[in-house]
Amino acid sequence: VSDRAVQDEVIRALADAPYRASNEWRSRGLAERERLERFARFLARHFYYERVVHFFKYSRALARVTGRRPEAALRPPGFDALFPTMVLGSRATAVAIAQLVTEYVRDGATEQVPYLDDLLRYEKAMMVVEAGPRTWRDSVNGDKGVVRGAWDLPVTVEGTVLLDLAYDLPAVLPKLLQPWTEVPEAPARSARLLVARSAHGRVAVARSSGAVEQVLELADGRRTIEDLAAQTGMAPGQLEDTLRGLVEVGAVRFSTGS
Amino acid sequence: MARPTVGAFYNPHLGKALAEATGIDHLAMADPPRADDPWWPRIKERYTLLLHDYLGQLSEPLDERSIQRARSLAALYETPWVAEHFQCLHTEDGRYNINYVFPPLYTEEFLERFVRNASALKARLDQPLVMENIPGFFDVNASQMPEPAWLRRFFEATETGFLLDLPHVWLEAHYRRMKPESWLAEFPLERVVEIHVAGVEEDEDLRGPWISPAEPSDEMLGFAAHAVTRCPGVKAVTFDAFSPGLTADVLCRSVDRIRAAL
Repeated sequence: VSDRAVQDEVIRALADAPYRASNEWRSRGLAERERLERFARFLARHFYYERVVHFFKYSRALARVTGRRPEAALRPPGFDALFPTMVLGSRATAVAIAQLVTEYVRDGATEQVPYLDDLLRYEKAMMVVEAGPRTWRDSVNGDKGVVRGAWDLPVTVEGTVLLDLAYDLPAVLPKLLQPWTEVPEAPARSARLLVARSAHGRVAVARSSGAVEQVLELADGRRTIEDLAAQTGMAPGQLEDTLRGLVEVGAVRFSTGS
Repeated sequence: MARPTVGAFYNPHLGKALAEATGIDHLAMADPPRADDPWWPRIKERYTLLLHDYLGQLSEPLDERSIQRARSLAALYETPWVAEHFQCLHTEDGRYNINYVFPPLYTEEFLERFVRNASALKARLDQPLVMENIPGFFDVNASQMPEPAWLRRFFEATETGFLLDLPHVWLEAHYRRMKPESWLAEFPLERVVEIHVAGVEEDEDLRGPWISPAEPSDEMLGFAAHAVTRCPGVKAVTFDAFSPGLTADVLCRSVDRIRAAL
């Protein structure tokens, strides 16, 4: 076993609570158990504190009317109850933490923020989409991006979300982060947003459209671009533009068929 | 020995205070400024800026994108040196990530990896590379040598500079039940270019002290003054705090107190 592999075991033990509790890890005897546990708890709180402050920043800006700062949810008993099952960075843990925060902030619901439910769903979606393994280093050959050949097949990236909202949140979000005295209003008109993540972990949001939704539904890694063109009825230029946009936000990647 | 400059970290939410502050010589940059930060042009104009971003973990080679990002930030800031950390915080396959500075095993294999990858990065930069020590909260029973010995061999092999994070040394000494001055003496202080000073506070999860965006205590300031006398090449001392909760008062007062202590 290389030293790099041993380091990976230690990192996994710090990040993955079920692994940390396993005989497989304990039998390795690599670190004092109690010290490692304390440090893992510290890391977990730090990991999700950073994410909650970032992804729930709009709810945070509303705390003076809701009385609920999202990061305050990361306290006992809720956070501590999740700790024994946490795997830092996993989608399941992101869902659990985001749910904890959402329930906490929702308890501060007020008529002044009629769009609070939508906002919490939006923020939760951002946090959950960000979770999952990521590419830390580009491969030697570089990212393929939208460069492709006839053998490349578009596929919708796992975790990509379409979010239906009753309020047009993109119209109000920037205002929430500016100084305000009256709570900024969100237009009561429906909006559908695409939330996706690049391989490097950057979360992007874009307004969705019929074309986007068709492509996301059909891009299964088996259909060719010609198949998509035939089934959506899109002109080649429109399909190319749609795919390029989806690749840029991380919603679609190209797999190489056999 | 010339007196080191005394500075702090750029905190985006304190843009106005930093643009108008007096008594701060330099700013370390942990994150790039937002494009819409109205205070950035004034900050860039008046301060020496030190690149201190996350460029990548040098247990693996940096990819071209990361190198170009480092070069671009270094050019933007006109930084006198580029800082990175002795850290290995995500698994090689990208599956697990602890999102917090964490030291590598102090082994021959990791020494060879860090020497190779830091040398490669250094060769691609137009400025000197400095590397920051990272504290361990617990020992891993696979390390082959003490951290100071590993660092000394790294610096000898790469001829890079040492960014000495003093609270990190203080914390390690605390958890080893050693006097901070005794533990500090083990490190290759002749390589130090910059020193970080910060506060430490009790952490409930660790059940002990840890780094905090707080004012340094009198004890830490005394330790900093001692360290500066042992580091003949130190050029800058930086109050190491960046956090949305940090106030301008704490930042400015900490810089003043560090300056007074040296």
